Amino acid sequence: MIATRTPDVPPQAGGASASASRLVAFATFMLPIGALLLLWEGTVRLGLADATILPAPSMIVARAWELLNPVGSQHSLLLMHIGVSLWRALAAFVLACLVAIPLGFALGLSKGAYRALSPLLSLLLPLPAVAWTPIFLVAFGQGDITIIGVCFLGAFFPVLYSTIQGVRGIGVHAIWVVRSMGAGPMDLFRRVLLPGALPALISGLKLGMAHSWRTLVAAEMLAALSYGLGYMIFAARSYMDVSTMFVGIVCLAVIGLLIEHAIFGTLERMTVARWHSSGKVRGAR
Amino acid sequence: MSTTDLASAKPLSVAGATPLLRNIFARFGVIVVLLALWELAARLGWINTFLFPAPSNIAATIWTQSGPDGNPPYAMPMHVLRSMIRLLAGIALALIIGTVLGVLIGMTRWARMLFQPLISIFMPVPTLAWTPVLLLLTGIDDRTTIIVVFIAAVFEVIYTIVAGIEMMNVKLFWVARSMGASRLQIFFRVIIPAIFPYLITGLRLGTGYAWRALIAAEMLAASSFGLGFMIYDASEYMSTNVIYAGIVLIAVLGYLLENVLIGRLEAATTEKWGVQSER
Repeated sequence: MIATRTPDVPPQAGGASASASRLVAFATFMLPIGALLLLWEGTVRLGLADATILPAPSMIVARAWELLNPVGSQHSLLLMHIGVSLWRALAAFVLACLVAIPLGFALGLSKGAYRALSPLLSLLLPLPAVAWTPIFLVAFGQGDITIIGVCFLGAFFPVLYSTIQGVRGIGVHAIWVVRSMGAGPMDLFRRVLLPGALPALISGLKLGMAHSWRTLVAAEMLAALSYGLGYMIFAARSYMDVSTMFVGIVCLAVIGLLIEHAIFGTLERMTVARWHSSGKVRGAR
Repeated sequence: MSTTDLASAKPLSVAGATPLLRNIFARFGVIVVLLALWELAARLGWINTFLFPAPSNIAATIWTQSGPDGNPPYAMPMHVLRSMIRLLAGIALALIIGTVLGVLIGMTRWARMLFQPLISIFMPVPTLAWTPVLLLLTGIDDRTTIIVVFIAAVFEVIYTIVAGIEMMNVKLFWVARSMGASRLQIFFRVIIPAIFPYLITGLRLGTGYAWRALIAAEMLAASSFGLGFMIYDASEYMSTNVIYAGIVLIAVLGYLLENVLIGRLEAATTEKWGVQSER
């Protein structure tokens, strides 16, 4: 998206000048962000904004340090929240993959099943996963089962949909050729179906994890009993603790970015970009 | 697992039967069969009817809640209407602000340098994480939900518009400029028509996100009406009928919004202006 497109810098040959121009690019990228933070800080310091409603960045950093509690004797509260949130999102994501990928392959391979189920899918796909929360709340009450269940549904449909699209995108000819050469079902799966569906599958996984993470926030606000970033933000509302809310928001954004770029970006580079490198745009997606 | 499926998939069109009936059955057959099974299982007591009330009961709930006997009277239309108003208000805001920002980013160097970093730090924040902050800033009223809808939709609008401008042919500007068009004229006569199809695509994607965000925001931040409020409120009274009724409405409305309404609009604009391939 636009986000990843850093200012255009012509690639230069010399090592020193290249790193210098990258530095300049980074500086021009950070400049507006720094300016915004300074402006924000100044507004609060000068008393133009109410610090209890809009705390200055320095106060948010101080609050984050306090919550992180790196030198204290007790456990770090912020890390607990982050850990619990990550655990829930990952559990939901893994469960969703375990169900959605095999189902996606089955539906992608069988035209009849796909045609029969596609109306159902197109009805369920745009349905917000959070809408299921009340049902889970009635059935299981507040707690991890509800949260993971809702995130599971959030991750399930993107993964399923991309898997189906990936499998359906494989040309019939490739399958015929390999089969006519005497490949068994396992060979077919390993040599044709899996690599063929992989680009769509990986983007589906990425989307699924992103959905799981985004759904998690809402689910934790609605149904968490104790820990989790969403719970932290929503509970801070009762104490008018806006600094804690902003700490939570920053953590959510940073972790979301890390998952998307550090984990799935690497996965994409290791697999799709290496296998389908011809004609694909690298870097910018 | 794959071999038999693939073999049988090829010569499907041979079988007779009237094509229209087949088509209808193929489209809705599975849904109808599933609903019938569900109804049967609920009637025969195979499943917990408290957690899975029969489809006929859910339909009856929608019917009574839509009429004067609802609680409050005409509850369903009121909830739907309120949700739609919030959605429209938020999307209208996103369209206006998103278009302006998108055109600025696409056309001018300073806006690109200024806004791109800011957008890239705000975009990864899950939209709903803003809800508690907005609640403190504005209180529990429509403003919170409308702003959440706005945030959910605006990035998609900006993104597609910037992409649209990048796809534009520079010669169009040269021609317009050389004929002495003013900036305003260029904006309304050249840029807006050129990015319009992209705007519609952005609108469709943005509406999808906005609809999801709206339901969740209403669960967190609405005090009286809205589909999200309705289902969350119903969960506190354990009335699963109402929850399922709400989910059905949310699914159907979401489908209609994204695919039928805006899909039509998109098809019409692509037909009229012809996107992508030419520019």
